[in-house]
Amino acid sequence: MEFWTSFAGQFVLRGFPGAVPQNYDTLVATAVEAERLGFDGVVASEHHFEYNRFLPFPLQALGAAAAATSKIRLITGAMLLPLYDPIRAAEAAATVDILSGGRVTLGLGMGYRPMEFDGIGTAKNTRGARLSEQMEIIRLATSQERFSFQGKHYEYKDQQLSPTPLQRPIDMWFCGGTSRVGAQRAAAGGFDYWLANSDYDRTKEIVDLYLGLAREAGRPADNLRYALFRDVFVGDTLAEARDARDWFLEVYYNEHIRCYGYLMDDKGEPLFNPPFDHPAYLAFVNSLLCGTPDMVVTELKRFEELGVHSITVPPVQLELFSKKVLPEFRK
Amino acid sequence: MKVGLSWDLGGDEPAATQWHRVIGEIERGDALGFDSAWVAEGKTGQAGCAQPAVFMTFAARRTKNIHCRALARSVVGEFPVRLAEEITLLDLFSHGRGGVAYAPASGQKIDPLMVHETIEFIRGAWATNEVRYRGKYVRFPSHTPDDAPAGLSYPAWTGEYLPQWEWGAARSTADFLALTPKPVSTHLPVYVAIDDDATLEWAARNGVSPYAGVNLTTTEAIERLARYRAIADGCGRHSYEVEAVLERNVAIDGATDAYTFGGSTHDIACAIRAAAAATRIGHFVWRYRDAAPNDLERFANEVQTKLQA
Repeated sequence: MEFWTSFAGQFVLRGFPGAVPQNYDTLVATAVEAERLGFDGVVASEHHFEYNRFLPFPLQALGAAAAATSKIRLITGAMLLPLYDPIRAAEAAATVDILSGGRVTLGLGMGYRPMEFDGIGTAKNTRGARLSEQMEIIRLATSQERFSFQGKHYEYKDQQLSPTPLQRPIDMWFCGGTSRVGAQRAAAGGFDYWLANSDYDRTKEIVDLYLGLAREAGRPADNLRYALFRDVFVGDTLAEARDARDWFLEVYYNEHIRCYGYLMDDKGEPLFNPPFDHPAYLAFVNSLLCGTPDMVVTELKRFEELGVHSITVPPVQLELFSKKVLPEFRK
Repeated sequence: MKVGLSWDLGGDEPAATQWHRVIGEIERGDALGFDSAWVAEGKTGQAGCAQPAVFMTFAARRTKNIHCRALARSVVGEFPVRLAEEITLLDLFSHGRGGVAYAPASGQKIDPLMVHETIEFIRGAWATNEVRYRGKYVRFPSHTPDDAPAGLSYPAWTGEYLPQWEWGAARSTADFLALTPKPVSTHLPVYVAIDDDATLEWAARNGVSPYAGVNLTTTEAIERLARYRAIADGCGRHSYEVEAVLERNVAIDGATDAYTFGGSTHDIACAIRAAAAATRIGHFVWRYRDAAPNDLERFANEVQTKLQA
């Protein structure tokens, strides 16, 4: 099982004060450090119209990281593809792929913040359908010399991608949350599926659904991969690990969860300003894995046995994680 | 006088070798004291560089001082917000060495107004916090109403401020948005090709730096840069507001032609000085191709010094 980590620096100022350009240096430094510590990939996400420190174009940040690293995979997660023209996105992916020697992986999501769709100037209500079409377009564009595509939202005839990436096709994942809808979309498209934070039971339920649906759709399920965002907090004691988790909730997640509709209620509607005792909020908090190194290793081994390809952990305890957890998966 | 190097990637050489060779040349240019490196957008062939800002972000992290600029950047088929964001990130990852020159409308087969609106929106959004824009081609945010003032407009203070994180379900977007992140400098270098008369005049009147590219003959380029300057002078704009760029081929010990400054290094320095006297250019860019192994060093030692002293 691979371990990926996200870029440090894409957080709110109250937890990570510093000059704006310095923040982008930190992104690159995280990639360098993660490579040194033995992580397999570094992940860049995307948001717009927020703080001066966020990343509106994760592939460009990965281009910067490519210049300072040599082997770590450079991964978007999630890159909000409906906010792009698919060919422009494929061009950018190919550019970084060439410069990095074929190290790009695309984790592609649909986005959920209305403000981002309004600001970029593209429709939010068609984002799910467009994401599926766009991923197919990128798969075709990066695997064939010339390609044609006829969809509901996009149409290309005898088109050629310039430049062409080293990977043919480019490595690509569908980021669809841990949901039935996500599993359905990933399975229908035959896309590898990258799940959101969730505990083992929920992960297994959705993975089983995904693989079953893929088989029904005639997709070769044996070749499909599934990955997981799994925020992990390690401490010498459980209390220490929970302290680390609570700090991360305060400086990062609480704002995303409470303000931007990051979580869904039981009707599938975005949940704004949920109280801290809301079942959806509590479920999210409980999905964050806390424990001593032994506890964390034991739990993560279950995901490995489930066949999970990779786990993405936050960038806040990389040194500790690399010393206490990673070696148990490298034996 | 500043001097730079430019590249147009593509052709038969595979990207995997060609691009890293060019990165090496940019690193050499950085070490030799060239002021700028420009890579042009190209969308043909397997080695065309369709995303020059991404390419230059990689180059920026391999260099220390040279300015890293996207050249001939198209606006057609692009979201204006994304065009602003990519140059901002280039600027941030390079610690203030970013910049962009937009392609002429005629080359993109679009109305010049689309180029003008895009540049005006980008510069306006960099310079302020919340903003909106209503144009014929650019509208930011997309729900900006038809009766909003034309061009850039700004919110009035309503007596209260509600941060995004307190909006809740009742409000998910806004009439004015702040483009983030912001570049290191508000006045990040933005140039536009002046191949089209409408853009030449608009740029001169609006303080946008002109770029006379190597696709123009030397005679055409000097005539257009001089006309730009005359229009700008006529409407009271100062030459220190902008930086005019002339791009040429260079053939050290080679022949001069309609697109090339050739001859001895002294001849080349004199040709650049003559062009500067006629146009007030502040930046000469060498379209780098087919050069001898030591030409970069010769230019740095024998031409650059004569442009500065």
